[in-house]
Amino acid sequence: MRSKEPRLVISFHTTAEAMATERLCRQNGLEGKLISVPRSITSDCGLAWSAPVALREAIEALLVRHAVEAAGYHELLL
Amino acid sequence: MKEKNWLKSYGLIILTGIVVGIAALVLTAVGNPKNMGFCIACFERDIAGALGLHSAGKVQYMRPEIIGIVLGSMVAALAAKEFRARAGSSPAIRFVLGLFVMIGALVFLGCPLRMVIRLGGGDLTAVIGLLGFLAGILVGVVFLKKGFSLGRAYSVRKSEGFMLPGVMVVLLVLLVAAPQLLKFSEEGPGSMRAFWIISLVAGLVVGLLAQRSRLCMAGGLRDAFMLRDFTLLSGFLAIWITITIGNLIMGKYNLGMLSQPIAHTQHLWSFLGMALAGWGSILLGGCPLRQLILAGEGNGDSAVTVLGMVVGAAIAHNFGMAGNPDSVVDGVYKVGGTSTVGMVAVVLGFVVLAAISVTHLPGKENA
Repeated sequence: MRSKEPRLVISFHTTAEAMATERLCRQNGLEGKLISVPRSITSDCGLAWSAPVALREAIEALLVRHAVEAAGYHELLL
Repeated sequence: MKEKNWLKSYGLIILTGIVVGIAALVLTAVGNPKNMGFCIACFERDIAGALGLHSAGKVQYMRPEIIGIVLGSMVAALAAKEFRARAGSSPAIRFVLGLFVMIGALVFLGCPLRMVIRLGGGDLTAVIGLLGFLAGILVGVVFLKKGFSLGRAYSVRKSEGFMLPGVMVVLLVLLVAAPQLLKFSEEGPGSMRAFWIISLVAGLVVGLLAQRSRLCMAGGLRDAFMLRDFTLLSGFLAIWITITIGNLIMGKYNLGMLSQPIAHTQHLWSFLGMALAGWGSILLGGCPLRQLILAGEGNGDSAVTVLGMVVGAAIAHNFGMAGNPDSVVDGVYKVGGTSTVGMVAVVLGFVVLAAISVTHLPGKENA
């Protein structure tokens, strides 16, 4: 069984922002994947971006550069 | 450890599905129509009738289940400090989407939740609805992947978030203290009802659990298709399995297509009606049940969507768009279904949804 590890989870106000993040990360070779936003973050049932914690600065800068607004950055065991 | 993780991920959503299934079985046993223990579309349609928004005499009753779901969600959200008044995500468009989701559901004769309940009763005509719902969701997912968005919601004053729960309280007061102001069916589905306190409690429990678990028929299928995440879908399956087992135990499981309770065999329009409901639900970010839950959490956009669905129900019945169930007249099986007006409305719904989908893609901000 896969053991849990710390992950950066980025939540968004809209699904479109999550999709845009996936596209930008793919284009820039930044690892990660779309997930259903964890219940511990919000009662919303949208999408979130899960990535290695070490990529936080790079992803934050990328999203700021492309005006993609994140609702929050969280470090969770997933 | 593995079992603990599995329980943490799936325990609450499966429990919610089981409770919804049991509640639906109990409500049917104590008076609600067959295979209609819960139906968000039908019950909102009944509420529209109770308020005199349509004049279809067989579907008028102030359904306490809807009131309970919204208030149960509000209580759960307040207790967990998750009540957040938000609004501003294309409310007028959400009103129209809610309206067409309702028309699609009423052409089929049930929301996604009742579709599952019908499946659990052995109603194979609901399989056609399920296929249509899946098709509609897939179309919606295509637009989500292209970047479809109705825009974000913003924090607003708390009173905005309490508006729909407040309306529900007023409706409950009317039902209990001033029923003479409301319309009540004397025959047909609207006349079949559990005692109001039982209905209200069932709604409260379902609303509370659905808020905690995020149960959503459309979201479950969206996550399964887009993310290969089956968490929300497991709630959907738990309802289906619970209802099936319950009906088998009570001897009420009737596998087949003909003579199913409040259902019709006009398959093409069952498919298209639920395709419209599925597509619209994906654009809205949740099925009709989820809209009630979100409205209970303080989401003003979902409150507007619910109002759109109530108006859609009134339009569907005032213009004869809603499906008619199959029936037996003088020993002859008569196929029901929707009217030509209903067919036109479904096609119009697809045109409107396509226009909304296309004009809310990235780069179309001025559309």
